[in-house]
Amino acid sequence: MRKLQYLFMSLAALLIAVPAFGQGSDAAAQWVPLAAGLGMALAAGLCGLGQGKATASATEALARNPGARPGIFIFLILGLAFIESLALFTFVIIFLKVHA
Amino acid sequence: MLNQLFVTKALNQVLAGPVDALLRAVHVAPANPAAPINNTFAMELLIFVVLVGYFLAIRTSLSVEKPGAFQHLAELTDEFVDDQSSQIIGHGHERFASFLTALVLFILLSNLLGLVPGFESPTADVVVPLGLAISVFLYYHYHGIRVNGFGYIKQFLGPVWWISWLMLPIEIISHFARVLSLTVRLYANMFAGDLLTLAFFSLIPVGIPLVFLGLHLGVAVIQAYVFFLLACIYLSMAVSHDH
Repeated sequence: MRKLQYLFMSLAALLIAVPAFGQGSDAAAQWVPLAAGLGMALAAGLCGLGQGKATASATEALARNPGARPGIFIFLILGLAFIESLALFTFVIIFLKVHA
Repeated sequence: MLNQLFVTKALNQVLAGPVDALLRAVHVAPANPAAPINNTFAMELLIFVVLVGYFLAIRTSLSVEKPGAFQHLAELTDEFVDDQSSQIIGHGHERFASFLTALVLFILLSNLLGLVPGFESPTADVVVPLGLAISVFLYYHYHGIRVNGFGYIKQFLGPVWWISWLMLPIEIISHFARVLSLTVRLYANMFAGDLLTLAFFSLIPVGIPLVFLGLHLGVAVIQAYVFFLLACIYLSMAVSHDH
């Protein structure tokens, strides 16, 4: 029941938003900064969460076994680089789309 | 070119004629015949000259009894590259030392050049990281084929033969995605660092942007290290034997 309620609420919200979809490309251009900001904020926030988890595990592992420092360091840097590159993909896409 | 850096302007004044002739010989019309060399290429050329000069200085001043300042620096670099690559690649890593050293020094210098006033990072332009990523791609495939011969294709076919028709396209796409991710990671980090400093400079023109320059310094070093590390890992995967 609760789920159905959510579904209908979101459908109603979409119904209200229909005029926004119906506008031409000129009117759509005004949403570009908002969309860019929201997209980058989502990407940055989730990337921060992911990097926080990775760093937390690495520091825990280091505290348990300080001898394994070199191995952990390489994997930490690699993991951080991979996680960060996802946020950077978002940044590049936003940059390309906003400047196009 | 509206804002030519000092080095670019000097290069264009001397070399505009020959470079234009060279470009016309390969049927490329330069956008601005008076200044065919752009900032990125000028910075790349500058780093190339500096690195060649550095290596020549090391080679001519090598000595066992009295190691000079350059030799200490070179030994430090070599020790770092050797240590990391032996940890990752293992047996037979000495062969790749020259490529990896050149790679890490070039990227490090290009990233750090953006912090010097009057210069800019060539890696903040997308073509330079792309060139580096493609050279890494060709290099590790070359060594994979050299070491494993025709058996190199086994790395693309997955663990069991009946899934190979699915694994081959996936592996080919993922190998090309490596080029993309190497390029975008380096380019976007450098570019975003510059942009961040500029954005804060437009908000507060005094003092505060310096903090972000410090952050950019850290990012520049880390990204050079990450690029080098990934090149090592791709090499180690390519030259590994299946037992």
